[in-house]
Formats: sequence, structure tokens, C-alpha cells
Amino acid sequence: MTYQLALQQLTDSALPTGAFAHSLGFEGYIERGLVHDEESFGVWLGAFISQQLTYSDALAIRFLYEGAPVAELDALVTAQLLPRQLREASIKMGGRLLEIGAEIFPSTELAQYRELVNSGRAASHQPLAFGVVARSLGVPLGDALAAYLFATVTSLTQNAVRAIPLGQNAGQRILRKAADCVAAAAERAGHLTPDDFGAVSPGLEISQMRHERQRARMFMS
Amino acid sequence: MSTTAAVQSQAVVSPASADRPVMGHLELLVAERGGRSVATHQFHRGALRVLRPHYLDDSGQVCYVLVNPGGAYLGADLYVIDVEVADGAKLLLATQSATKIYRTPGSFAEQRMRLRLGDRARVELAPDQVIAYREASYRQNTHVTVRPTSSLIMTEIVTPGWSPDGASFRYEELRLRTEVRVESGDSGAGESGLLALDNVLIRPPLGDVTGMAFMEGFSHLGSLMVVDPRVDQALADELHASTAGFGAHTGISLTAAMLGTAGLVLRSLSDSTEELRRVLGAASALLRKRWYGQDPLDLRKY
Repeated sequence: MTYQLALQQLTDSALPTGAFAHSLGFEGYIERGLVHDEESFGVWLGAFISQQLTYSDALAIRFLYEGAPVAELDALVTAQLLPRQLREASIKMGGRLLEIGAEIFPSTELAQYRELVNSGRAASHQPLAFGVVARSLGVPLGDALAAYLFATVTSLTQNAVRAIPLGQNAGQRILRKAADCVAAAAERAGHLTPDDFGAVSPGLEISQMRHERQRARMFMS
Repeated sequence: MSTTAAVQSQAVVSPASADRPVMGHLELLVAERGGRSVATHQFHRGALRVLRPHYLDDSGQVCYVLVNPGGAYLGADLYVIDVEVADGAKLLLATQSATKIYRTPGSFAEQRMRLRLGDRARVELAPDQVIAYREASYRQNTHVTVRPTSSLIMTEIVTPGWSPDGASFRYEELRLRTEVRVESGDSGAGESGLLALDNVLIRPPLGDVTGMAFMEGFSHLGSLMVVDPRVDQALADELHASTAGFGAHTGISLTAAMLGTAGLVLRSLSDSTEELRRVLGAASALLRKRWYGQDPLDLRKY
């Protein structure tokens, strides 16, 4: 388990990728009064994990591990993330992850992805940046998926604790409950097909799109 | 920009075989002839054909109405539609009636559509709604290739069919996957890239599709995809303004720009086909007026 501490650092919510600035769509549900407490945020989070994180992020990481070229996956993720703010969030956080990764976990694969990004041939998406680094560290796919998904869920929950707001303990209860959902998502991503990639629910996408026009907002997405 | 991905080519659906008979096959090639668009090649076999072409106005845009004389898609049926619109030609492709998907036990009905637009070619795809009845499974795969100067407006409405118990989500699976690629330069020498991948998958038996962050309590889904070099944020804002007044729950966003063109996607949830028609109709009316000086689409049914 030589990668254990590296994986912890990579998925720590203190890793400065800017995740604190993104609700990835839940802020719209707060505005509409649909997410307002521990329970309702938990419902949203469960849907987000089983939709967005499964059909987009986790599947992209799996395809990367299975050897699909990162440039092709990068283009696929850009085309699939139809809500502009979500696409930009993924690119922004992915870009930061590539920069940080280059300093602390350099590898040939990472340098190649950065070169594609720097030459305008790739955008730098968060799940792919993470996948490239995790793979270079020898993290097995199952561990990488669980760690990535749970890190995203942790950031979102911290953001919800501030935005709704919720108590800190409520945040921890939400995370504990989300763990089963994360495990199920990592498992499910292993059985999906390329046809399934990007099959995110219409409701999530619409709310992510509508966030562009939300007047008062705390988050960039 | 990457070319065809290994991952994407795997996504091509299962081949036609003994257990997936091609029930209907349609080929249509439309080109510009003296200011009018006409079909220069037309082929149909089985349960798909087009009605005699007509012209709804003096724009030269030819309108073809797709007909499925069988009236419905059933289990394991495969329908193949191949349409090419040559440089400068203009096509409006509509349907005569809704696409009804009935029970497809142990299998799924499938429609594969390939649509290719030439330079400055213009296509409006305005089918009636897809209705998925009880125990229906349906896959629709649409592959669109445009040039940077092409103009595409496509709409789609999917709805649950009537079921004896009155519940909305009695179908097994709806899968509507649309890929839009942009190609520039001469074939073989140009660049190409994937502009948009729109993948909708609704599987009611797998869990609560009605609730928050899925169908949000609605039963009908509408979508609009626009690809045109004139697509920009100002246009997205205008489309928002023209659709915001309806009761449907609607979002609009832009794709990343690519090779000098861009895409816009509108998604809308409602409990009524009519409401979604009004939303999509308002958006397409704005685009037809703005870009082509045409009146709102008025398809008199044959």
C-alpha cells in the first residue's frame, strides 16, 4: 500500500483545486427551496452520486484505466458536459490538479496530459487529471474510484454545510450515509458500457444550466 | 482536437443480424438545384418512407415527412435512417405522427440515424414526440456530422404512454443518444472533433426516476440542439427570455466552441407534450426568424 498516503493527500479537501467554489448544481435546489436540510441535501447528493458521478466522472476514470487515450477521453468529457458551468468547473479543477500533481507526483503520463493541455489539444478535466495521477501512483481502479467519488462528495457536503447551512455533525452524518452510495457507484461504473457514458439525468443538467442565470449565488457552478 | 475515439467507436450499437431485422430503411440525399432544395437520391425499404416533398414557404427549404406505415416500433425492430444534405441545401424533416413504442419483451426497438450536413447546409429536424408505452424499451442513436458553416436545429420530445393504472413511468428503458461532430477542411486533410454528446437514459424499473434531480416530478422531456456558427451567449440569453414564460422547467447552455462553430442545448421538463411544443416552438421560431427570415414552423399534417 505504498500509495496510501499519496492518495490521502490527493483526495484531501485541503488540496487547493478550488472545490469550495462549486455546488455542481445543488445551489439551484437551495434557491428553489427543495434542498433545505440534512435530509433533502442527502437525497440530492444520492442522486448526484448515482447520476453525474457514476455516468460521467467514474466512467471516464475507468476508461482511462482501461487504456483509452487521455486526449480522446478529454474531448469526450468536454462534449458530454453540456451545462457550461459544470464543464468549466471540471476544467478549472482539473487544471489545478495537473499543476499540483506535476509538483508533487510527477510522471510521464501526467507530463503528457499537461503537454496536450498546454498545446490546446485537451481541456484538463478533473476526473481525468485525478485518474492519470492515481494510475501513475499504482492505485488500483476500485480504490481510485472510491477515493475520487468520496473526495467529491466531501467537498460538496462541506459546501452544503456552509450554504444551507447545516451543523458540522449533520455534515458528518451525511458523509457516513453517502459512503454506501459511493461504493455502489464505484461498483456500478465497472459494469456500464461506452453507450452509457454521459447519461446524466435531465433534472440535474437543467438545474446546472439554470444556475448560470441565478441572481444571488455563492458558488461558481 | 482528437479524432474518433476508441471509446466512441465501441459505442456504435449492435449490428443488424437475424435477431435484429431491419424493419425499415430510408436514405435521402438533398441538394440545391437552382435555388430550391430537392432530393437527388432516395431509397426506402420496409416500414419507413417519406411523403411527396413540399415547400412550406419560398425559402427553397424542402420539407420531407417521414412515415412509418406500421405505426409503431415493436420489440427488436431496427430502423435505419441515412440523410445527407449537400452544400447549401436546406431540409426540414418532420414526421407524420408520433413514434409509438409498444411492448418489446426481451429486447428493444431501435432507430439509428445518420445525418450529414455540407457547407452552409441547413437542417431542421422536427419530429413528433416519442411515446413509450408499458414495457417498452427503445434506443435511438443519432450521429450528426456538420461542417463549421452548417446550421442545425433539432428538437425531440419524449413522453410516457397511457397505461391502464394511469402511472407515467411504465416503460422499461428509453435511451436517446446523439453525437454531433464537426469536420473542417477537405476530407482526410481537415480537422474534426466531437462538439456534443447528448445522452439521455431513463430506466424507471431501476429506481426513482420521478424525483428530485431526475425528472423533478415531471413526466415529459423536451430538448433542442442548435449547432451554428452564429450561436453565442447573447443568443442563449434571448432564447432564455423567449422560453422563460412557460410553465415548463427549462435550462439552456452552450457547448464549447469548436472549429468556428458552437452548439446550444435546451432541456425542458413538463407534464404536457403541448407545453413542450410551445417551448421548443418559441425557440425555433426565434431562430427561423432571426437567421432565415422565415415564419414559425406550421406543419399541416397530411
